[in-house]
Amino acid sequence: MLSHFSAAVLFALCISVVFGITQRAEPKMMIRFGAFCFALFVGGLILASWLMFAVKH
Amino acid sequence: MPTPAQQAQTRDLIAQRIPGEKSSLPAIVLVAGWLIPGAGHMILGKWVRGVLLFAAIITLYVVGLGLAGKIYNPSSGDILDILGSVAQLGSGLLYVLARVLGWGANPVLTTVADYGSKALLTAGLLNILAAVDAHSLANGRKAS
Repeated sequence: MLSHFSAAVLFALCISVVFGITQRAEPKMMIRFGAFCFALFVGGLILASWLMFAVKH
Repeated sequence: MPTPAQQAQTRDLIAQRIPGEKSSLPAIVLVAGWLIPGAGHMILGKWVRGVLLFAAIITLYVVGLGLAGKIYNPSSGDILDILGSVAQLGSGLLYVLARVLGWGANPVLTTVADYGSKALLTAGLLNILAAVDAHSLANGRKAS
């Protein structure tokens, strides 16, 4: 069974793959944009998690 | 006398699709890409992109179903259900299969199931994005 974190990372990975392929024309730029989206998703996820932790404590 | 490389370049330019040119190929890849994730790209010979799109969208869909996500019913009369079913209809045959075979949960009973519903909605919307991308490739609006 997936944890919340692993489900969110898998969600981010799938979306980043589609965004990378559809939003850029060159394969190299697709990989770069996909990696950028993935980093933003996971970074946002970790930031939001710590914010929620700070709000609760 | 043009060199073989120049001749090949000229051939490529002639073979290039002109934007707006009359052809049924863009419509075919749009519909195929909508029905089966990544099929539009595969028809255009973009196998790696097609397989990656297929894997990403199917994975998201399976995760959504695995988390007991809701398959929306447009005939319930609720505006959110109608909007949800429009987004999930983007998954093409997967949505039809889900409705016919009774996959997914209805209504959402747990928090995790709500995440599953969002994964199913996102899979549908991403599939629309992928199908439109294949259409743009076929009609020449997207270079490569």
